[in-house]
Amino acid sequence: MFLMYRPTADNLVPIRLDIEIDGQRFRDAFTWNPSDPDSEVVVFAKRTVKDLKLPPAFVTQIAQSIQTQLTDFRSYEGQDMYTGEKVVPIKLDLRVNHTLIKDQFLWDLNNFESDPEEFAKSFCKDMGIEDLEVGPAIAIAIREQLYEIAVQNVTSARESRINKKGRRGFDHIQASKTGGNAVDLFKLFGNKSSVVRKRKEWDVYEPIVDLLSNEEVDALEAKEERNNR
Amino acid sequence: MATLSPSPVFTNPLDRKNEATISHMTSFVKAEKAASERDGPRNDGERWFSWINIHEVERFSLREFFDGSSVTRSPRIYKEYRDFIISKYREDPSRKLTFTEVRKSLVGDISVLLKVFTFLEKWGLINFNVTDNNEKLSDDGGVRTASSGRHEEEENWGVGESGFKWPPLASYLDVYGELMQQEKKKGLVCGSCKDGCDSAHYEYTKSITNKDDMSPVEESFILCEKCFKSGNYVEDKLADDFKLKESVNQAAVWTEAETSLLLESVLKHGDDWDLVAKNVQTKNKLECIAKLIQLPFGDLMLGLAIERAEDPSPELQDKDQQNGDAENEGSPRKKVCTGPTSDVGSSLMKEVARISTMLGPHVTASAAEAAVTSLCYENQCSREIFDDDGNYVDSIPSPETSNQMRAADADHAVEDVRPNQSEIQETSSSVKNIIPLNLRTRAATATALGAAAANAKLLADQEEREIAHLVASMIEVQLKKLRRKMKYFEDLELIMEKEYTQLEELEESLVAQRMNALEMVFTADITKSKEHNTLMKYQTDTVQ
Repeated sequence: MFLMYRPTADNLVPIRLDIEIDGQRFRDAFTWNPSDPDSEVVVFAKRTVKDLKLPPAFVTQIAQSIQTQLTDFRSYEGQDMYTGEKVVPIKLDLRVNHTLIKDQFLWDLNNFESDPEEFAKSFCKDMGIEDLEVGPAIAIAIREQLYEIAVQNVTSARESRINKKGRRGFDHIQASKTGGNAVDLFKLFGNKSSVVRKRKEWDVYEPIVDLLSNEEVDALEAKEERNNR
Repeated sequence: MATLSPSPVFTNPLDRKNEATISHMTSFVKAEKAASERDGPRNDGERWFSWINIHEVERFSLREFFDGSSVTRSPRIYKEYRDFIISKYREDPSRKLTFTEVRKSLVGDISVLLKVFTFLEKWGLINFNVTDNNEKLSDDGGVRTASSGRHEEEENWGVGESGFKWPPLASYLDVYGELMQQEKKKGLVCGSCKDGCDSAHYEYTKSITNKDDMSPVEESFILCEKCFKSGNYVEDKLADDFKLKESVNQAAVWTEAETSLLLESVLKHGDDWDLVAKNVQTKNKLECIAKLIQLPFGDLMLGLAIERAEDPSPELQDKDQQNGDAENEGSPRKKVCTGPTSDVGSSLMKEVARISTMLGPHVTASAAEAAVTSLCYENQCSREIFDDDGNYVDSIPSPETSNQMRAADADHAVEDVRPNQSEIQETSSSVKNIIPLNLRTRAATATALGAAAANAKLLADQEEREIAHLVASMIEVQLKKLRRKMKYFEDLELIMEKEYTQLEELEESLVAQRMNALEMVFTADITKSKEHNTLMKYQTDTVQ
C-alpha cells in the first residue's frame, strides 16, 4: 500500500491562499507538512496576520482555507497510488514579482526521492535569480501539478477498477488536463534511443527567465485583474 | 614527444610534493602538455573514473540506476547521462557548468538528473576547475516551508577552493591553449596582415621626433617575414628601417649566468621550486623545471641536491662546464646528451684509458696527437700552451687551457674551475702545470673519439676481410653447383641421343615393314584382278 501523494522526498502539501475581506486581498502560496498537528494551522494563521499586519478577520479565513485544503488532501490518503511507471512533463509558466519563468521538464512520479525545493533552488542559482520569492514559487508550482496529477490518478484508477478488472500493467491512465500525457517510456528510454535529446529540442526544454520592468508588471497585473472578473 | 611516466596519478598536491623527484616533475610538466592524451579527470573521482566502465562508487551512490527498478533508470542510461555531462563540461573547463544548462539536453526525470549531476560535481568530475562565484546567492533562495522548518544544509563541494588550482582538463583549450597563450605573450602581430609572427619578423624602430614637444619618440612597428618580403611596409616606412629579428621566445633563452644561478639554487634548495625560482628571479618556476630537465645531467643534479651533498663543487663544476661546452657548440648537442653522465671529467678519463688499453699505446698516441693538433688549429692560444708544455704523453694528452675562451664564456665559471683541478690532476699525473679542465676534457674527448675511430677502423677492416672471405667461399660453392648441373645435363644429353638412335632404328624397321606389307597387298591385288577378269570373261561368254 502506498501513501497518498508521495512522489517526493518530503510529503508536503501545496497550499494556496486567496482571501479577500473588505476589499483587502491576501494571496499566498506555501507548502505544509501534513504530519504536523492541525493545531499548528491556527497558530500559523495568527502569526501570519500579525506579521503582515492584516485585520484580525483574516485569521479564521486563513486557518479555514488551510484546513480545507489539508482535509481534501488527506481524503486521498490510503489510496492505491501505484500506476506503474509514469513520467510526466511539468510545465512552468509563472510570474513572481518581476520575474517571468517558462520551463518544461520531465518528472518521475514514482521517484520518491525527488525534491522540488532542491530543484527550485538549483534553478534559481543556475539562472542567477536573486528574487527570493521565485524559488518557493517554482517549488509550489511543481508540487501543485504533481498533486493534481496524483489526484487524477486516484480517480481514474477508481474508474478503471470499476470498468475493467482484467487489464493490468502499463495501462496508461486517461490523460490529465493539466499535467498532460505521461511520456512514452519505451520510446524515450528503450534500448534504441539515446537519452541525449536532439539538438533541435533543446530550446523546448530550456528555461526562459525574463525580468520585467515595472510598467510591464503593471500591465500584466491589470490584465489578470480583468480576466478574473 | 612526451612519454607518460607510469605514475601521473595526482592524488593531491601534498602527496605530490612529498615524492617530487625529478621524474615526477618531469611527468608533471609533460603531463600538462600531454593532457590531451589523458582521459581521466584529475580529482578525487579520477581514482576510479573510467569512460568505459561504471565503478563501484557509482553503483553505490546512484543505486537507483542499478537495481532495475525502472525502465527509466538503467546502467546504460546512467552512463549516457554521465558521459554527456562530463563531455559537456570539458567543452570549456574554465566555466562552471550548471545543471540548468545540462538538463535541457537530457531526457529523464529531473530529480534523477540532478542527482547524477550533483554526484559528478561532488566527485570533482565536473566543475572542479572553477571557483564558484554564485555560491553566496544560493542559500536564501531556499524554500520556506511554513510549518516545518527545513534545514537545508548546503554541502560544500568546493573542490576548486582548496587553494590548489588544477590545470585545465583536456579539451580544445589544452590542445590549442598553448598556441593562443604564446601568441598573447609575444604579442607579435604583424602590422600589415594582422597575423601572428611566429618565425621571424621585422621590427621597425625609428626614432621620430614628436611634433608637439620635440622629444624623441620610439616608434616600433612589426612586420612579418611574408609581408616584408612582399613589400607591404605600410605607410611611409622604408625597408632599411626594418631590422630582422628572429623571434625567440624571451622566456626560453637562458643566459649562462642564469643557468649557473639555477644550478646553484637547485643545489641549495633541492626540489623546492618556489625557492629556486625566487633565487633565479628572472625565470618562473615552470621555466626553471623545464630548463633543468633539458640539461643533460638534470636528473643527477637533482638527486644530488636532494641528498644534500656536502661538497657540491666537482659535480656542479662539471655540469656548468659541460653546459658551457654545450652552449658553445650549439643546441643540437644539448639534445643528444641525455644520459646521466656522472662525473664527466674523471669518467671520461677513465673511458679514454680503457679504450687506449684496448688499442695499444701506438694507436692512442696518434689519436691524441691528432686531437691536440686539431685543437690547436681550432684555437690559437691553446696551441701556445701545448707548445709550451711540449710533451703529450702516450695515453692521455695534457689537455690545455684557453682561459680567454673560458673567460669570454663566463668569468665566474673560471674561478669555479680551480677548486677541482687538484682532483683531476691525480688521474693524469703527467700533467705538470695547471690545466683548465675545459681544455683537458675536450682534448680527452677528442682522443677518445680518435681512439674509438681507430678501433672502429680496425673492426671495420676485419669485418671487411671476413666478408670478402665469405663472399669468395660462397662463389666457389655456387660454381661447384653449376658444374654439377652441367654434368647432369651432359648425361641427360647422352641418354637422349641414345634414345634418338633407338627411335630412328624403330622408324626404319617400321618403314621396312610397311613396304613389305604394301608389296604383299600389291601382289595379292593382281591375282585378284586376274581372277576377276576370268570371271567376267566367263560371264560374257555365257551371255552370248
